[in-house]
Amino acid sequence: MPSVAIPNAPTVVRATNVSKRFVIRKEKSLKERIVNFGRSNKHKDDFWALRDVSFEIKAGTTIGLVGANGSGKSTLLKVLGGIIEPNDGAVQRRGRLAALLELGAGFHPDLTGRENVYLNSSILGLTRKQTDDYFDSIVEFSEIEAFIDTQVKFYSSGMYVRLAFAIAVHVDPDILLVDEVLAVGDEPFQEKCMNKIREFQQEGRTIILVSHSSSQVESLCDRVVVLSHGSVIFDGGAREGIAALRESFDH
Amino acid sequence: MTSQAELRAARLAELPFDVSMSAGPKSVGGFLASIKEIASHRQLLDLLIRRELKSRYKDSALGFFWSLIKPLTQLLIYYVFIGTVLGASRGVPDFAIFVFSGLTIWGLYSEIIATGTSSIVSNGGLIKKIYLPREIFPLAATGSAIFNFFVQFVILVGATLVLGRFPVSLDLLYLPAGFAIVLIWGVAFGILLSALNVYLRDIQYLVEVAMLLLFWASPIVYSWSFVVNAAKNHTWLLEVYLLNPISLAVLAFQRGIWEAGSETVVIDGNTIPPQVWPSYMDLRLLVCGVVGILALFIAQRIFSRLQGNFAQEI
Repeated sequence: MPSVAIPNAPTVVRATNVSKRFVIRKEKSLKERIVNFGRSNKHKDDFWALRDVSFEIKAGTTIGLVGANGSGKSTLLKVLGGIIEPNDGAVQRRGRLAALLELGAGFHPDLTGRENVYLNSSILGLTRKQTDDYFDSIVEFSEIEAFIDTQVKFYSSGMYVRLAFAIAVHVDPDILLVDEVLAVGDEPFQEKCMNKIREFQQEGRTIILVSHSSSQVESLCDRVVVLSHGSVIFDGGAREGIAALRESFDH
Repeated sequence: MTSQAELRAARLAELPFDVSMSAGPKSVGGFLASIKEIASHRQLLDLLIRRELKSRYKDSALGFFWSLIKPLTQLLIYYVFIGTVLGASRGVPDFAIFVFSGLTIWGLYSEIIATGTSSIVSNGGLIKKIYLPREIFPLAATGSAIFNFFVQFVILVGATLVLGRFPVSLDLLYLPAGFAIVLIWGVAFGILLSALNVYLRDIQYLVEVAMLLLFWASPIVYSWSFVVNAAKNHTWLLEVYLLNPISLAVLAFQRGIWEAGSETVVIDGNTIPPQVWPSYMDLRLLVCGVVGILALFIAQRIFSRLQGNFAQEI
């Protein structure tokens, strides 16, 4: 068990019958819409990215969402994070949530690293005062002191990710959503990230991780949810989950 | 001994759940809840406004001055060509102040709507990744428009002081009234159009064209007296003209700061009577404001219905 077991852990995330439908329209401009008006159903495709997904997550667990490409992992993560609304069903969550979905989403290329730290922390829910307190620690974690007053458009992608990760782990999240981002940065930095995640687990934070790396999932997660074509096909221990995932590839 | 993890669990157990589900037609409650949510993000709003202002003219040598050069050039063009060449200034005393006051308030309106409309699409990167009350983006655009407006306004007031034409009267109260109306209607349209623009990108081009037309539908470069004269035989046309909230706001703004408009002035031997401001102007402004708040409410409700799919439509 990678994380600490908490007796009577409260539920932090509860998904009830969540379904999400995407409508894929083939035309976008006004002209096309007028020309095809009335026949518009022919130019639409329905696609259920999630179908009747229900589960609960207790505080302090690390849960891995796995599945083949296009099975709905990232959509589920976005629905859990409140970024898209489900068509049906509901998601309940509590506590401060931080998302590591593609790092640096809130960075503005024309602003300096320092300005972006303040902007991004505020986006993730810190007050100005809290950011002031954490600022040095954020910069230290990212190891890019020398460039903190440079515009981020001049950053290398590694520097970008370092700064973004440093901010995300400093916002004191209760729930951390991680989407395929741990495989960035050089080896020492990756190691640092993994250590930080383990530290988070010790502190009883809930981590929801989307990953294709079986070894990462196996070493970090205490529970695995396997998705296939938008439905949950397995929910249980990490080792069994990986086995179920392998099996789902064969079908 | 209780560990950090147990303390966290105990704290979480106390917290209420936030629910996200398919948005139904929630009424007044939803509107108030949205306002509350935005208020709790006001530090972020502040940072976004700064970002907008800072990044706009970053890396340009004159920087922030560009935001002044545009309205001043407009003033020059209208002053020289419409005022002097076409002779409009013979019928309008203190033509420069008149035009600049109209341009200033119009600039606020058009900037709120133009930048507001594209705000959601241009912040797509953020919206796709993090949950925030999305109204914050059109509001940040509004904030930076207000900043630019105040800079222009300071110049306008400075000009009236230099020319010794700063009005000291109760009419000054028309300034905040005009400002409030532009703000209410601008934000209402900004919020509504920003959401529609996500689904139909043609909106932002349509808005550009519409703003060009609407500029001439308000008494900015021609005076209200000119409209009254032109529609002498069809007074109902004046009523239609005044239905446009911005025309009314422009008039209020001019009445507030353009002192010469409310006096009898002699130019080149011609006596120009004071402007006949619209009847019941105070009442009209009040009604316009109340209807504007209603429009804002409706716009926000439509916005919140549409925002559920922003992340996948952008």
